[in-house]
Amino acid sequence: MSQNSTNKQNRNERAERDESADPTADGMDIQTDVSGSVAASAGGSPTRETVVSAKHISVWYGDDQALSDITMDIPERSVTAMVGPSGCGKSTFLRCINRMNDLIDSARVEGDLYLRGKNVYDDDVDPVALRRRVGMVFQKPNPFPKSIYDNVTYGLKIQDKGGDYDEIVEESLKRAALWDEVKDQLGESGLELSGGQQQRLCIARAIAPDPEVLLMDEPASALDPVATSQIEDLIEELAEDYTVVIVTHNMQQAARISDQTAVFLTGGELVEFDDTQKIFENPESQRVEDYITGKFG
Amino acid sequence: MAAETDTGAIEDFGQVSRTVGTVFRYLLLAATMFGIVMLAVLLLYVANDAIRPLTADPGWYLAFFLALVAPTGIAGWAVRRRDPAALTFGTFLVGMLVVSLMFSGGVALLVIDVVPPLVALAFAIGLAVPIGATVGLTRYAHRISFTLRLAATTAVFYLSLFGLPGPIGDAVGAPPIVPSLVALVQSVPVIPVDWMMVAAVVGGGSAAAIGTYVASVGDGSAGLYAAGVALAASAAAGAAGPLVGVDSVPAVVITAVALVPTTAYAWRGGFTEEGSPLGLVFAATVVVGALVGAAAVDVLGFAGPQSWVDWGFLTSAHSGTAENAGLYPAIGGSILLMTTVAALSFPVGVGAAVYLEEYAGDNALTRFVDVNISNLAGVPSVVYGLLGLGVFVTYLGRSAGTVLVGGATLALLILPIVIISAREAIRSVPSDMRQASYGMGATRWQTVKNVVLPEAFPGILTGTILALGRAIGETAPLIMIGAPNVVFNLPTALGSKVSAMPLQVYAWSSLFASEDFYTKAVPAGVVVLLAVLLAMNSVAIVLRNKFERTQ
Amino acid sequence: MSTDELTTDITTQTENSPRELLTRTFFFLCAALSIVTTISIVALLVTEAARFFSLTAPLLGVTGPTASIVDFLTGTSWNINGGEFGVLTLVSATVMITLGSAVIAIPLGVATAIYLSEYASERARSLLKPALEILAGVPTVVYGFFALIYITPALSVVFPSIGTFNMLSASIVVGIMIIPMVASISEDAMSAVPDELRQAGYGMGATKFDVATGIVVPAALSGIFSSFILALSRAIGETMAVTIAAGSRAQFLNPVNPASFLEGSLPMTAAMVQLLLGDITGGGLAYRSLFAIGLVLFVITLVMNVISDFVAQRYREEY
Repeated sequence: MSQNSTNKQNRNERAERDESADPTADGMDIQTDVSGSVAASAGGSPTRETVVSAKHISVWYGDDQALSDITMDIPERSVTAMVGPSGCGKSTFLRCINRMNDLIDSARVEGDLYLRGKNVYDDDVDPVALRRRVGMVFQKPNPFPKSIYDNVTYGLKIQDKGGDYDEIVEESLKRAALWDEVKDQLGESGLELSGGQQQRLCIARAIAPDPEVLLMDEPASALDPVATSQIEDLIEELAEDYTVVIVTHNMQQAARISDQTAVFLTGGELVEFDDTQKIFENPESQRVEDYITGKFG
Repeated sequence: MAAETDTGAIEDFGQVSRTVGTVFRYLLLAATMFGIVMLAVLLLYVANDAIRPLTADPGWYLAFFLALVAPTGIAGWAVRRRDPAALTFGTFLVGMLVVSLMFSGGVALLVIDVVPPLVALAFAIGLAVPIGATVGLTRYAHRISFTLRLAATTAVFYLSLFGLPGPIGDAVGAPPIVPSLVALVQSVPVIPVDWMMVAAVVGGGSAAAIGTYVASVGDGSAGLYAAGVALAASAAAGAAGPLVGVDSVPAVVITAVALVPTTAYAWRGGFTEEGSPLGLVFAATVVVGALVGAAAVDVLGFAGPQSWVDWGFLTSAHSGTAENAGLYPAIGGSILLMTTVAALSFPVGVGAAVYLEEYAGDNALTRFVDVNISNLAGVPSVVYGLLGLGVFVTYLGRSAGTVLVGGATLALLILPIVIISAREAIRSVPSDMRQASYGMGATRWQTVKNVVLPEAFPGILTGTILALGRAIGETAPLIMIGAPNVVFNLPTALGSKVSAMPLQVYAWSSLFASEDFYTKAVPAGVVVLLAVLLAMNSVAIVLRNKFERTQ
Repeated sequence: MSTDELTTDITTQTENSPRELLTRTFFFLCAALSIVTTISIVALLVTEAARFFSLTAPLLGVTGPTASIVDFLTGTSWNINGGEFGVLTLVSATVMITLGSAVIAIPLGVATAIYLSEYASERARSLLKPALEILAGVPTVVYGFFALIYITPALSVVFPSIGTFNMLSASIVVGIMIIPMVASISEDAMSAVPDELRQAGYGMGATKFDVATGIVVPAALSGIFSSFILALSRAIGETMAVTIAAGSRAQFLNPVNPASFLEGSLPMTAAMVQLLLGDITGGGLAYRSLFAIGLVLFVITLVMNVISDFVAQRYREEY
């Protein structure tokens, strides 16, 4: 219950801040908004360990290059946003982290990607085992056509993990801010929930096995504004415990919720990666500034 | 034209002749209808020869018209006006009753003449106990390693079905130490009467299915309750059957296989929130009308049609005279063949489909298998018959014309069709589901087991039933593997000689060719064969529609 | 979580766990069974046929009577007891059935496809398509009976000289049986024609008739041809209908002479059934001749299926 009430408090705070930010969506407002959230986490940032470290990652689909020579370090317990125009390779990069690209026959990855110092492209790494330590939430909510309970315990079951499932289900759904809405209907199909609830169920499903990193591929793009703001609140809370990497095409969203932002531009190139505040207030690159201010993209 | 008008506007766009188009359109329609109408006419002829509707008293028709046709028409019209969905539900309910009654006839045939009730009970217990143990093992001990679980499962099944040391011991001549559960049950000195055992096996199976169904709709306790009621109803039918002049065993089977499932469906469609009682009214009108009509003609003494498809035809064996010839061994043979074919082709076909869709990459071998399967689907059935004859009979030395050889040959014949339809069903599972599962770190098998197969199952089932419909009509492969033309008894083992419905029809129309057989036994056989096929196909179509709606 | 623990975790090999290996092996074996089936068919037919011919039989150590491969492929008389194995006799009957059923199924099937794809309303399609499926679903033994008992007597009104067993009635029922095959594959090809082509036609002021015959059919032509070949290959392999309706007396008929349709003969598949029902001892000459016919039949249908696949592949590339 205590966690629940904190959730609500947080949510109220967020709602107030969103109200101030939403009516005018121009650059100034975003910057004031962002300065608050970065300031809050700035103190911890120098001591943060790097969780994911990409070194010269390039990806080809057949003969088409989707990513070229990406190098970046993602610190733990923070939200890292990847922004850029569609087709810039931001989702491709996300899928390099948990090797979902392996499922595409034509995809070829070069370079190294370290997860807590272990190169996940080493020969001895099993992509399936890797994905058990890296949770993923997809663009379209995709709960299984099973009960809510079975959806949340899916990861535990496939890993043959023991433990008190009831407790884990409750804990995960609470963290995903869904418990209060579904606690009386855990046996019903996950598909009967609304879109926003489905996406929170998918988040609960992803965090139930307690992953090292949580990847989110435009998790709010298929949702309405109310559901979107719920998901955004949730992401910030999750960053207290998890390393969240989120792909978004929505610049305001990146500004609102992320601590670091990586800007990808056409051709699969990482143009700039820095604190979100820096990216939005004073980007190094003219192309990034043009993109952020809407001159291009 | 424009020159004649002062304003310069076009007055008239002219006319394009539509005559050719219209003629063409109706020609196309006529061509489309040609085959359908032709077949309909032929079916009318054969139905007329088999059922002979003109031999009935006019009073018989009048009675059924008044009791059944007129009320059905009125009720149908009224229900449709209020709620068309209720009419669909009511029609479906009647159809379900008819099909499930046919199906219960097949099951009754099996438990009465093929598998003695005690053996059936022994095997049911011998399978239920290890299944229960396995389910318990996976539910309460999910940390046990897979290898251990597999070993434990295999051991418990082996012990239950074969005992220790079982067939392996027999092979080396070791004496039996622990009897199997199956043998134990069969050696119990005091056995219940047949119908009780049938109620336990068939009623138990039906109750389990009903319970699962109700539990999936409502909650677990309702399922348990429903299963209890279903089992009690089957048992009660056995006790009450003789009082109303029906033997206990058929009464149990009909109740368990036809009445209980239909009632469960009627209850769900009629009394739960999404259903409507109007559909029940329609179904009740039809059923009561049929019963009233039957009672009325009985009381008033109107003779029905002198149909060749009658009880005697369905329950007697071949005879030299067309009047006395029956289809019983052939019906039983077809049922056993279908069971064998389904047991062989379903797992293998689904397995191959899963491999090709979920495991195999896009390489030369996969493409070769792909082309190979589509070519196998085009190989004439008579060549499959040669394969069965050459490989199973000549090279492997199995005796010709048995259930096992026939079933295996037909299974190979329909395997490409099962594989192709199962692949389509698997392909229609949305890829987000797979992504979600792989994204959680599931292995291929876990994804297949938890996500792909449950989603694709209705589609796979539909395809398999349609393929079985193809197998049940096949004659040539059975002739090739040496199935006898005339069989007087039901096959009781996989090694017994078997006939089948289409084979019997062929035998009557060729070997016993005479005016008598042409006008009596053969049309009757054709009608029964087509009725069974129609029932199978309608089950498949209903499943397919339901499946497509939920997609 | 420490780095070492994580490393251990993600390097756990899941692919080679017993569960994965077992299931993967099972699925692979299921898929491999289709190849085993093909190999068995080919090997069986080839070896048994080789034991049948004088040319190859000694190589396989077969003693006793054999048949000349030249006589088999060129002879025009089939009489097992007399030792005459001219497969052309049977092939001529099969060709007649195929031609006869093509005359019925091809125009009707294509017309049905055009109607379903271009003219029929959604509701008409939902009724007509299952009805057509029934045509293909009726067991062939039933069709054979229909041909013998109902169609032949009806034909004898028009052609008094028609035999009890004749090629005409068999061709008619086989034709009806394969209409759905021509119709459904052709319709798929026509539905695959992009709507823009039709729109372009209508935009030029074409009538529906012009669009259907001038645009859709030519664009779907390769698919339509592929349906012909596939359906005819089915007609060639059709067994029970021709066995019952076409007769049991093998005679060489001229396939292009319409009068010969009124006579009966013995198509390849019917000959196989007849051989089986006769008293054949395992391994005898009659038994081996069965596989020789089977080989001819298999090769013909296989070649037709491959051609049909090839033609269909080509049209798929166009869009």
